[in-house]
Amino acid sequence: MTHAASHPRAESTRCPREQPAAVPAERVSLRVLLVEDNSADAELVLRELRRGGFEVSRSIVQTPEQFRNSLWRERPDVILADYNLGQWRGIEVLNILREEHLEIPLILVSGAVGDVTAVECIKQGATDYVLKDSLTRLPTSVRRALKEKELSHERREAQKELARKVEELAQSNRDLEQFAYVASHDLQEPLRMVAAYTQLLAERYGGKLDKQADKYIQYAVEGATRMQTLIQDLLAFSRAGREGVAAGPTNCNGVVESALKNLEAAIKDSGAVVNYGGLPTVAANPGQLQHVFQNLIANAIKFHGAEPPVIDISVDRDGEGWLFSVSDNGIGIAPEHAQDVFVVFQRLHTREEYPGNGIGLAICKRIIERHGGHIWVESQEGAGATFKFTIPAAAAEPAASAAALTLTAAAGAR
Amino acid sequence: MTNMEAEILLVEDSQNDIDLTLHSLRRENLANRVQVLRDGEEALDYIFCQGRFAQRNPDPVPRLILLDLKLPKIDGLEVLRQLKSDQRTKTIPVVIITSSREEQDILRGYDYGANSYIQKPVDFDQFRSTVKTMGLYWLVVNQSLASNGAQAAGKR
Amino acid sequence: MNLAREILLVDDNPADIDLTHDALSRSRFPTHIRAVQDGVEALALLQRSGKYSDASVPDLVILDLNLPRKDGRAVLREVKSNPSLRRMPVIIFSTSRAGRDIGHSYELGANSYISKPGNLQDYISVIMSIGDFWFGCAQLPPQEEP
Repeated sequence: MTHAASHPRAESTRCPREQPAAVPAERVSLRVLLVEDNSADAELVLRELRRGGFEVSRSIVQTPEQFRNSLWRERPDVILADYNLGQWRGIEVLNILREEHLEIPLILVSGAVGDVTAVECIKQGATDYVLKDSLTRLPTSVRRALKEKELSHERREAQKELARKVEELAQSNRDLEQFAYVASHDLQEPLRMVAAYTQLLAERYGGKLDKQADKYIQYAVEGATRMQTLIQDLLAFSRAGREGVAAGPTNCNGVVESALKNLEAAIKDSGAVVNYGGLPTVAANPGQLQHVFQNLIANAIKFHGAEPPVIDISVDRDGEGWLFSVSDNGIGIAPEHAQDVFVVFQRLHTREEYPGNGIGLAICKRIIERHGGHIWVESQEGAGATFKFTIPAAAAEPAASAAALTLTAAAGAR
Repeated sequence: MTNMEAEILLVEDSQNDIDLTLHSLRRENLANRVQVLRDGEEALDYIFCQGRFAQRNPDPVPRLILLDLKLPKIDGLEVLRQLKSDQRTKTIPVVIITSSREEQDILRGYDYGANSYIQKPVDFDQFRSTVKTMGLYWLVVNQSLASNGAQAAGKR
Repeated sequence: MNLAREILLVDDNPADIDLTHDALSRSRFPTHIRAVQDGVEALALLQRSGKYSDASVPDLVILDLNLPRKDGRAVLREVKSNPSLRRMPVIIFSTSRAGRDIGHSYELGANSYISKPGNLQDYISVIMSIGDFWFGCAQLPPQEEP
């Protein structure tokens, strides 16, 4: 055995290679609850802690009842327990801690036991296990335990804060949605009055007052009707966000049929040809899906080129789900704008060139995304556009087996 | 033309009138799904999913019922009475279309809760025009509970 | 026999009353319109009480739902539960598109339910359709001789 030099802390140890841990300059105060039935052992532990730089205030208990009482009275920072306490074992302290819903680090101190036991204790929830013949480890162990506790506490607080902020944000979103919806809804009525009466003015007095008046009335009418469309679109956009999806088996052939019926006039006027058929039954909200098809087809008709619009609706499997394509032979979209078209209120043309608010595709995007799918466009300027969207699978019936149907206004559906 | 989900019920026993009505509806693109029932008993069985129609799924309810008065087995007024006194069916618009010129029938029709009453014109062209006006009003202008909600979809 | 059809229009919005007037004037059927702005007046007129004791009985009622003093639903209920009034065709004409309002109106005995269209053209078309059907196609219940 080698004696260290006249260092005040040097003591005879059984393990000369062990070095005492570096001691911080300031003393840290520490409340210790010691569960130990041997007073000599207790003294050893406390002395080691003091040597380790702690200002110790301690309580020593021996039985579970004493332990329980002390817990609340003393509010210790750390619990040091002997593994072997005669009638009970130090590890049982953990059960009591759990019952009291307290999370105080527990360090077991004991004579030699197998590594297996030590590991077991830690698995059960002890913070550490220190052998009585390696007590110099104790201060480091305590420091580490305290640090861990602090970090874990901080992390929990941070998580709580995050959860709170997320909920605040969600609530704020809900409030905004609600506001947008109510505002749009309530604006419709007065708007209806303005629109109707400006049009009546135009009808009754158009040409009877001077040219200025005609122009003023015309601007008023345009403004009012544009506001009406805008409010309706905003409502649809808002509804697409707040309504539940309420998906059920939806036959896409029927959906497209209904959409085409609503677009009869536009199809007739433009001489559009729409090809579709053999579309599957998917898990979707029929009303919302119709909105998507109707919007895409309407756009394809609106943004036609020199020739009458030809629109093809087709479908492919996409894993377990479906990939729909709506392609046209219209004016197309430059690739750099492919993302922009889905942004709400984003338009690529002036109102004189093409009417519309720029909400339609934003609504489609919202609907598709709420169904769990994606929507995008593949296009070149002047070379038509293909809008694609996916609908993931759920319980769906096998596809209807309609032959390809061609709906042509020229052929006269009537 | 009889599909699972009939939008219109035509309760009529005269084949001639059935043909004429269907033809007129089709001409105006209004005849999507029409279920023809030829007597009062069949009509009630169909609507209440009983008897020979016990397996029928009651949903969705029809948007409109066109009801003749002179029907075999159970007459039109009795059918009307049952329709309008049952919670499940009283909200379905029922339009009486009859050749009867009796004022009593008009009074009783409205008394029993018919939504409207039409006398069948004798003239072929007038008949067609009547069905057109009737169809336009009850299937396009009028809101029924069974109206297709999806038509609210805006454009662009 | 008076050829002009009598319409009772019940609506609390004077702008809509004027609009309906205007639209009906374009119809090929001559109509005479009596307009009241709340449910109490409407019932008084229909029951020919007080100042309305000499009023002519309407052939058709066009009834809004949201009215002051007594709303359209109450008017509808009272008309359709009154044996001497319940034959009268009542058309609900309302901005509400709520399924609840539509269903409830039919339950109370409304003959027809029409949503007020948002744009002028449709509003006029709809009013004209009312005229075309109820005056040009349907049989109205015969008036009881006073």
